[in-house]
Amino acid sequence: MIVTAQKPLDEILESISPYHSVLIAGCDGCTQPPRGLREAKTLAQLLELGGKLRGKDFNFEVITLPKQCDSYLTAGPVQSQIKDMEAVLSLACGLGVQTIAQILPDVPVLPAQNTLFIGADIREDSIFEERCAACGDCMLALTGGICPIARCPKSLLNGPCGGSQHGKCEVDPEKDCAWDLIIKRLEKLGRLSVLEEIRPPKNFAVVVRPGRVST
Amino acid sequence: MLLDIEKCQVCAICYSSCPAKSITITYYDMNSLTRYLEKAKDEYGSDALVVTCKGTNPDASEVEQLFGISEFIPLSVPCVGRIPAEVLLEAVSRIGIKAVYILACDEDYCRFERGSTTARLRAAALGALLEQLGHGAGVIKFKQRSLKVRADRNKCISCGNCVFYCPYDAAKLEHGAATFDLELCRGCGLCVSLCPALALDLEHWEGDKISTMISDFSREKGRPNILVMRCQWAVFPEFDEELDSNVHVIDMPCAGRVEPLHIVQAFQQGIDGVLIVACQEDDCKSKKGSKEARRSTAALKKTLGQIGLGERLHFCTVAPRYPGSFREELRQFKERIGSACSQEVTQ
Repeated sequence: MIVTAQKPLDEILESISPYHSVLIAGCDGCTQPPRGLREAKTLAQLLELGGKLRGKDFNFEVITLPKQCDSYLTAGPVQSQIKDMEAVLSLACGLGVQTIAQILPDVPVLPAQNTLFIGADIREDSIFEERCAACGDCMLALTGGICPIARCPKSLLNGPCGGSQHGKCEVDPEKDCAWDLIIKRLEKLGRLSVLEEIRPPKNFAVVVRPGRVST
Repeated sequence: MLLDIEKCQVCAICYSSCPAKSITITYYDMNSLTRYLEKAKDEYGSDALVVTCKGTNPDASEVEQLFGISEFIPLSVPCVGRIPAEVLLEAVSRIGIKAVYILACDEDYCRFERGSTTARLRAAALGALLEQLGHGAGVIKFKQRSLKVRADRNKCISCGNCVFYCPYDAAKLEHGAATFDLELCRGCGLCVSLCPALALDLEHWEGDKISTMISDFSREKGRPNILVMRCQWAVFPEFDEELDSNVHVIDMPCAGRVEPLHIVQAFQQGIDGVLIVACQEDDCKSKKGSKEARRSTAALKKTLGQIGLGERLHFCTVAPRYPGSFREELRQFKERIGSACSQEVTQ
């Protein structure tokens, strides 16, 4: 899932300040935490309140889309809803924002979120954690299903580094050392010997940016 | 015998059952119950008494549906297991009540574990006694029910929040939508407050109903205009609870049913301060409700702080075993909000 964080209200208010009528578009897709109807309605009320305190009056309409990044699914609802609205405020990841911008070439589309990473919802700890770096050359088969590219700040292929202390990372001692997790996991699976082979430098150009593949 | 007051949930089942009458209680003691009934009999002009647990919360039309009566004296208490048999006996034999209708929660739903069962057994015994005393059969009528979640499959986005947060494992994702085992649902409303698609609702505490109450309160002129959303198990109001006219209370099934959408609506419509009152985490009748309410209120407070309104929202925990704790929290909050409002006026 794509993990996002809401922008500070000041920043959002600033970005929508040139407009009066704004369509707030939620996304029921993979954005986490889900930025659906509840978030869209709550944000509309917060912005109305924030606007009022700054002496600015807004007119918001609210919709939510099943997958904002799917131009086929999004075009119809957005086009029928936009009518006299002057701008769109999207609660989706950067992808959703760009999809609506493409559908509505004459309407400003503004992000309400900062898109952070591809992550997992660790519900028990109430946190989201980055787990995939979209590197284009998955090596999870060799690392016990734990990604050192995304979860080791140095993206080491032959870890751990000397900074691994008691299973924690030297860069952020709050976080687990990915290589410590990998070794423990492979040990449990009886596959520790996999690590005897030195991994050569990784080809990070497997996906030439911007990435594009045929469906 | 010693009672450990730190563990006491003030269900008063011990008080109502003690044959030696050696336990005293702050809320709904025999005298205040009897006084209420004497007064209410004239006030309501009825000789039918409807005693309901707060957990069942029926409105007048539901009472009519359940018991077939439209005029009655209402008595809503936190657990019907707390009503001593003597009070009902006196109500019938002296005060002139002709029929007593008791609505308890389903027994496996009782927030005080044995309250509903106690009330059922007591009602049966009292009914038999009243019959022997010549008041006729069926003076006491007893029913049980509980309030549950309602899910709209068409709105569900299959995010799984309800499955994770349900403290009772009542929610499952099946065939692309959330489904609920209503036998397991305890009606805490936590899933309703956390559903990102607004696909869930809780009987009696529907989102629209709460929203309308807030809109009505926001039109009141008193300043500072304060909304209190409190868990109905955290505060047992006295009879004729008198709060200032600018304080509006919504009793919730659990603080976990309090949702940020309603809080923001309140501020947006002109409420000056919102006080969320929960049970202490160890006392929470819905396992996770108090904890989640604290978390979500803290997150919203942070967001409100971005537009200078963080101090207008406050979360506190109280318990009925500390009488006066709610009033003290409210007094302090009113003072803070009052001074924030007067500063604004000055500016």
